Amino acid sequence: MTRISRRRFLSNSALTLLYGATYPTFSTTKQSVPWRNWSGGIVAHPKARFSAASEEQLANFMASTSGPVRPVGSGHSFTPLVPTDGHLIVIDQLAGLLDHDPHALTATFGAGTRLGDMGPSLEAAGQAMFNLPDIDRQTLAGATATATHGTGIEFKCLSGYVTQLRLITPSGDQLDVDATSDADLFNAARVSVGALGIVTRMSLQNRSPFKLKQKSWVAKTGELLESFDRHAASYRHFEMFPLTHSDYAIALSTEETEEPVNNPPVSPEEEAAFGEAMRGWMEVPPGERRPLVNGLAEQIEPSERIDVSYKILTNVRNNRFNEMEYSVPIGAGAECLKEILKTISDKKIDVVFPLEYRYVSRDDTWLSMSSGHEDHAAISIHRTASEDYRPYFDLIEPIFWKYGGRPHWGKVHSLGADRLGELYPEFKRFQALRAKLDPQGRMLNDHLRKLFGVPE
Amino acid sequence: MQPTTTLIAAIFPCLFLLACDAPTKKYSQTDTQTELAVTSQLDPVQASAEVMGKWTRSCALCHVNGEGGAPRVGFAQEWKPRLVKGQAVLLKHTIEGFNNMPPLGYCMSCEEEDFVALIDFMPGESE
Repeated sequence: MTRISRRRFLSNSALTLLYGATYPTFSTTKQSVPWRNWSGGIVAHPKARFSAASEEQLANFMASTSGPVRPVGSGHSFTPLVPTDGHLIVIDQLAGLLDHDPHALTATFGAGTRLGDMGPSLEAAGQAMFNLPDIDRQTLAGATATATHGTGIEFKCLSGYVTQLRLITPSGDQLDVDATSDADLFNAARVSVGALGIVTRMSLQNRSPFKLKQKSWVAKTGELLESFDRHAASYRHFEMFPLTHSDYAIALSTEETEEPVNNPPVSPEEEAAFGEAMRGWMEVPPGERRPLVNGLAEQIEPSERIDVSYKILTNVRNNRFNEMEYSVPIGAGAECLKEILKTISDKKIDVVFPLEYRYVSRDDTWLSMSSGHEDHAAISIHRTASEDYRPYFDLIEPIFWKYGGRPHWGKVHSLGADRLGELYPEFKRFQALRAKLDPQGRMLNDHLRKLFGVPE
Repeated sequence: MQPTTTLIAAIFPCLFLLACDAPTKKYSQTDTQTELAVTSQLDPVQASAEVMGKWTRSCALCHVNGEGGAPRVGFAQEWKPRLVKGQAVLLKHTIEGFNNMPPLGYCMSCEEEDFVALIDFMPGESE
């Protein structure tokens, strides 16, 4: 075993972080620790793991082995997309900025690149992503496989900005796919929940770097809903976080600016004060909580911050949670949200987590939650990781169904192939393409069999 | 108590961080570079290149800047309260997740021996 000093360790690590270099290793080792997702609620016991050091190694591995495999990114999905009793394929060595075109403003990344590492790399190359999701720990592969999205009626999910990708098929073939080489496979593989093979690199359409000014304020939930469409049209991004057992929501608007950066860190004292207040809420029965929450909401003053785009669009969410998110047709969003809030209130559900309500643009992938001919409203509910989310989520999920909701592929839901087939016009085409690329079902686990209606 | 919070910026982390025990700090490579410039002055210890790669791609996300209250690499004082619990407890917390730390600390390819080496390495006074 090569031995190195701490100084060398840290020095080399710094270079790796700064320039995306990797230290390739080819390893398939006996699994001695179980795999768990980020929230800890999903556990798997793969028989072995394979950490791919290169695309060639991965292709050779797929071609020379048989049996089930599942790729893993950051483990941020709350649905059991990753569990397997076969090989767990780790792609974090397939990371970093591989190429960029300064004229077309496109860039190619290893699919194992974390979203949080892309902003600085792109900025150095004179580019920036159009939009980002709230959390930036996910890998590019994982985020696109689940149609992860940010906020904004003008902005598609991340998969909508992919211009080309490389797919290692279950049989080990290496396919470079774009809209002209194979439109069907391109539209399927951009949101595939890892069912078609393993995506190893992706090219994205980007833009020039920009700064954003984000403003926050508190207003009555009903008033914000009434003005939501106007705000969504006038700001680059607009979303709201309705507070449970309250008449108020936090509004968040974001628009481009040329103003200087002004993004001071949040004071720990202020965080602690609000945290203490929230713990106080939790000691009061939900049915009696409204005056307390409203009282605090009314004291909150607006704030704003300015920074480069990727530092405004994403946040670090350290405390772990589970989440359910459905996207409903945009015209049904407000009524769906109102019914959920009323249900939480009427049923006195003991939850202090706010909801999240935002718009996402339609796109031309087959399985994105916003695929098709209409924009969607994405509505999220959350539970801390230490709590049993089922009673709350089970109560709310039928409301999403009532409004034609499509579940986020990476967030808790209970739908299977029959219902998903009704929600996605191209679902049958995806099923057929999946069966063609993976006739042995190597990429399937129990969850994916349920999603795509494949018997054991 | 009567909160006197004036910044909604203070609220958002708490809405998603019900424990609110530690301030959050956004990861940036500039911060990382600064921190590494400090920690690279530490005395040498031994580690394998393979483990180093795993550390860089996972643990470093939080343990360089102290994200979410994580003890920082090379800051022995921050590790002391953890180390007194014993290696077995730290290993269990690492594998299963503990408070803000996700299971496996984002290292999807780490095995038990990797975690043992990393727990030994990060406090900075094992040699």
